[in-house]
Amino acid sequence: MSLVGEFVAEMMASAIRMGIPILLAALGAIFSERSGVINIGLEGMMMFGAFFGALGSYLGGPVLGLALAIAGGTALAFVHAMGSVTFRVNQIVSGVALNILAYGCVRFSSITIFKMATTSPHVAKLASIDVPSLSRIPVLRPLFGGVSPMVPLAVCLALASYWLIQRTVFGLRLRAVGENPLAADTVGVPVPPLRYVGVLLSGALAGLAGAYLSIEHTGMYVEGMTQGKGYIALAATIFGDWSPLRASAVAMLFGFAESLSFRVVEGGTIPYQFIKMIPYAMTLAVLAGVVGRSRPPASSGVPYEREGE
Amino acid sequence: MILEATSPLIAVVFSVLVGSLLMVLVGKSPVQVFGVMFRFCLGRADSFGTILFKATPLIFSGLAVGLALRAGILNIGVEGQYLTGAILAAWVGFGVKGLPGFVHLPLAVAAGMVGGALWSLVPALLKVRRGAHEVISTIMMNYIAQHLVHYLIADVFMDKMQMPIPGLGSARVRTPLIAKTAMIPKVHGLLALLGIALPKHTYANWLLPFGVALAVATYYLVWKTPFGYEVRSVGHNPGAAEASGIRVAETRLKAFVLSGTIAGLVGLSDLLCYFGYMDVDFPKGYGFTGVAVALLGRNSAAGIVAAAFLFAFLDRGAEGIQALASVPMDVIVILQGVMILSIVVAAEVVGRYARNLQRKEAARG
Repeated sequence: MSLVGEFVAEMMASAIRMGIPILLAALGAIFSERSGVINIGLEGMMMFGAFFGALGSYLGGPVLGLALAIAGGTALAFVHAMGSVTFRVNQIVSGVALNILAYGCVRFSSITIFKMATTSPHVAKLASIDVPSLSRIPVLRPLFGGVSPMVPLAVCLALASYWLIQRTVFGLRLRAVGENPLAADTVGVPVPPLRYVGVLLSGALAGLAGAYLSIEHTGMYVEGMTQGKGYIALAATIFGDWSPLRASAVAMLFGFAESLSFRVVEGGTIPYQFIKMIPYAMTLAVLAGVVGRSRPPASSGVPYEREGE
Repeated sequence: MILEATSPLIAVVFSVLVGSLLMVLVGKSPVQVFGVMFRFCLGRADSFGTILFKATPLIFSGLAVGLALRAGILNIGVEGQYLTGAILAAWVGFGVKGLPGFVHLPLAVAAGMVGGALWSLVPALLKVRRGAHEVISTIMMNYIAQHLVHYLIADVFMDKMQMPIPGLGSARVRTPLIAKTAMIPKVHGLLALLGIALPKHTYANWLLPFGVALAVATYYLVWKTPFGYEVRSVGHNPGAAEASGIRVAETRLKAFVLSGTIAGLVGLSDLLCYFGYMDVDFPKGYGFTGVAVALLGRNSAAGIVAAAFLFAFLDRGAEGIQALASVPMDVIVILQGVMILSIVVAAEVVGRYARNLQRKEAARG
């Protein structure tokens, strides 16, 4: 009995570990899209976060790592904001370009700094948390013992994002700018600054998501470690109907699918490659309206141009 | 009109500046590094052959992205479409035996096109029937293709008869070898007639002239046929196209699948001339570079071919500067990204400037 319990607890813990980076990046996607800017560049921002997180931790410990990761993600997001808000270029093209740019920058920096293109040395993790008393129960040990502090942080960020978007004046304005920028502009809500904030927040969160991968999950930077999680986060956003809480739940679901794919390798009835397809196939199903319809912010992806400018 | 043509130039100049800045940051002289690059690319016969080989997939990829773009569709899925095309072509290549080359090779190439077309059909149908945004759906299809192809190579087609490579413990995860009859001949003979001798270890092949011919064909299709007119109308203004009696959904579907069909050709130059099998490390990224090629080429047939050659030149040059000037070759990937960004920004700024001029002239007149 306790064996089954331990297995379930271990599965859940694994799902959480795999889901956290998707959750953080999805929160980022929500801020950006709610303000009216599609952020395909999320993947690249995560790459920056993973690399600069490892670099910071290598140079001065995990806290510096987190700071550098956030800075890196935000810097890349700033380029996206300039392109899509100030210059009003096609936001998808800008995002694709940023992903290519990030891939090149990270490899270039890795060779220059670590003398290796694909990995960094091992770096220090944050001190892990043992939840008092709960972690002493053997069955719950995998869930509450040795937890990365970024797990509770991510939960707090999800709740904070919900509160910020749904319950504050800032959130109302952000949503207004994403739904109907002309109307927002007419009543004096500044459209470009709010969109900048939305995009920059998404970069910061994606950077944090990348840092989780390199600092907390692997303990080093490895090329390609984002594995399309930025895109999966976009999928979680769509599936989660652009709501922070629902998208977080979907991120956990995707995390579960991923942790499942490691375990069926031994089972062998279903090839693990097919399990790996689950998040992508689910997203297609959502896009096709098979599993519930979701509606994006009305002006997401549409550059806003004032009359006569 | 002249203004329009300046934006690719601005983009190239700007990205060269960014590249120079990077070289200064790592303590190299940009003039020297670019000097090495030009000498390496232009001074060697094998560089010439390699550039021809590297340009080939990019021409197809640029044409695939470009054609969809004409209909207002951003096909980010070329990446997945060429993988499915390549695996299908590989399957015909090693699975079908006993055919003469003049049947087998066209069959394998056709299989590649079918593979690409089928993979683009899913997002195309999702777009026209269910309104699913093609960018997200094609990205999802890319990952599904990657895992599917991995499964097919590792579990279904895996070559268990291969000779173990000396020094390497286990067998490679790859398909069986493609029959000689399905391999694409090189263009060395043709170029020898023109007095250009390509070294044996370069792989420029007949897909290159085929790609250039396809560029001409797409130009004809887009600008000289009723279908091309419909595609352009749909891309330009779907509402007006609908009102003038053009079937928007049908046109989009056709353009999307046609784009996928061309995308199916992207991987074939590597598959059927260089590798002769497909393994899990099959080249990736041509689809994304195709977006850069189509944008930099301003989506004209000649522009796409020129941009493909520019990227092939940069790619080869990157190998040179890594070997001879010890600058990481990834500087070229950075240049690609900067180039895409700066071309869309430049096009936007130039376009705005041109509109303002027009407006002023209209006000004056």
